[in-house]
Amino acid sequence: MAGDEERDDTITTPGEVVGHFSSLIPGRGTYLCHKNHRDIYASLTGHCKITPPSPTSTDKRSTIEIVGHKSHGAIPETGSIVIARVTKVMSKMASADIMCVGAKSVKEKFSGTIRQQDVRATEIDKVDMYASFHPGDIVRALVLSLGDSRAYFLSTAKNELGVVSAQSTSGSGDTMVPISWTEMQCPTTGQVEQRKVAKVV
Amino acid sequence: MSSSLSTYAPKKLQRRFENKEKEWIRSDNRGFLQCRPAFLKTGSGNAASGSAFAEFGSTKVIVSIFGPRESKKAMMYSDIGRLNCSVSLTTFATPVRSKAMMGFEQNEKDLSSMLYKALEGVIKLDTFPKTTVDVFALVLQSGGSDLSVIISCASLALADAGIQMYDLLTSVSVARVGNNLIIDPTNEEENEQDGNLTIAYMPSRNEVSQVTLTGEWSTGKINQAMEISVAACFKLGDVLRNILRESE
Repeated sequence: MAGDEERDDTITTPGEVVGHFSSLIPGRGTYLCHKNHRDIYASLTGHCKITPPSPTSTDKRSTIEIVGHKSHGAIPETGSIVIARVTKVMSKMASADIMCVGAKSVKEKFSGTIRQQDVRATEIDKVDMYASFHPGDIVRALVLSLGDSRAYFLSTAKNELGVVSAQSTSGSGDTMVPISWTEMQCPTTGQVEQRKVAKVV
Repeated sequence: MSSSLSTYAPKKLQRRFENKEKEWIRSDNRGFLQCRPAFLKTGSGNAASGSAFAEFGSTKVIVSIFGPRESKKAMMYSDIGRLNCSVSLTTFATPVRSKAMMGFEQNEKDLSSMLYKALEGVIKLDTFPKTTVDVFALVLQSGGSDLSVIISCASLALADAGIQMYDLLTSVSVARVGNNLIIDPTNEEENEQDGNLTIAYMPSRNEVSQVTLTGEWSTGKINQAMEISVAACFKLGDVLRNILRESE
């Protein structure tokens, strides 16, 4: 572990030259300036971290990135796993508020949409939205794309994606226990409800 | 003092510096090329993503940054991020509690749009597509060179918030009073000025993000003023970097 990455102890600020294109690849928090000598500049405040190249890559240069700064709250990016709370369920789509991206929570919520064809991987035209989600459910989803101006497009079409926590609509309102990949059961009343359940390992 | 009311002429502004040939004397005993002592501080730890406070003599400004956060639903989709700047003056910022003052040209809308134009060139908008970064600047006391202090403070707050930028942005203004060029003018000096040059400069990349030139200038004086302000911005850049390093 000690030989893999080097961390500089001095703090870099935006605009400082941190390296040269001939020996380093610009990573997150850095950018390349083509105007003069192809220098690599920092664009964030933090420590430099140099990661050596993977043995399989053809490019023999290390990657430099800026880490360690108290950055702003996370923003959803294509391909990231998010935790969202379902707000509206309609016949062809469900709306959800994205609350966490990966392991970090967001400062203010982002709007997401789960379309009917993205709920599961098989028989996507026969999906019943009301049997997959209810308002108030907590789901784990994948960000498919930035979507349109209103919302990000999310997908639950994998075994480990879907509802992770839901309240029972029966009188007790307890958190339900999953019994299969399509059903959850309330522990006190025994009522079974249909959801697209995530396979939590 | 009887006056016939058939005609009206506005009263001539009483200017202190009537004779343009004399040397201007600064009331706080600074040299012409000497900026006011600057105090800047980052970090608030509250709902804002980042914030900074700047005090240049009697000009005091707080800037808070919110974002990147979701754009309003009414806005069109955008591949790059959006920047929203808003400058407001508190009611106690100026000696006279009024927006329409003689000799005070800039109001809040002007300052907001100038701040936007300056920051637009330095923030990497493609790193936060579809979202908005809100910059709120509050002028607690307006003591001269307001726009410059706001720009420098905003760039410090953006660096504190972790928004990716090409470089830090520093800004100074130079006033031309008669034949003298004085840097970092106070309110009193701005009222007497014949021209003003404000630049927003990226010290590490040696690039200018915004130039605002008002009043009467000759080409030679513009050159001189640019050199003076670039040199001062360079030094201010070092000050900003030290503050960022110490706050970590």
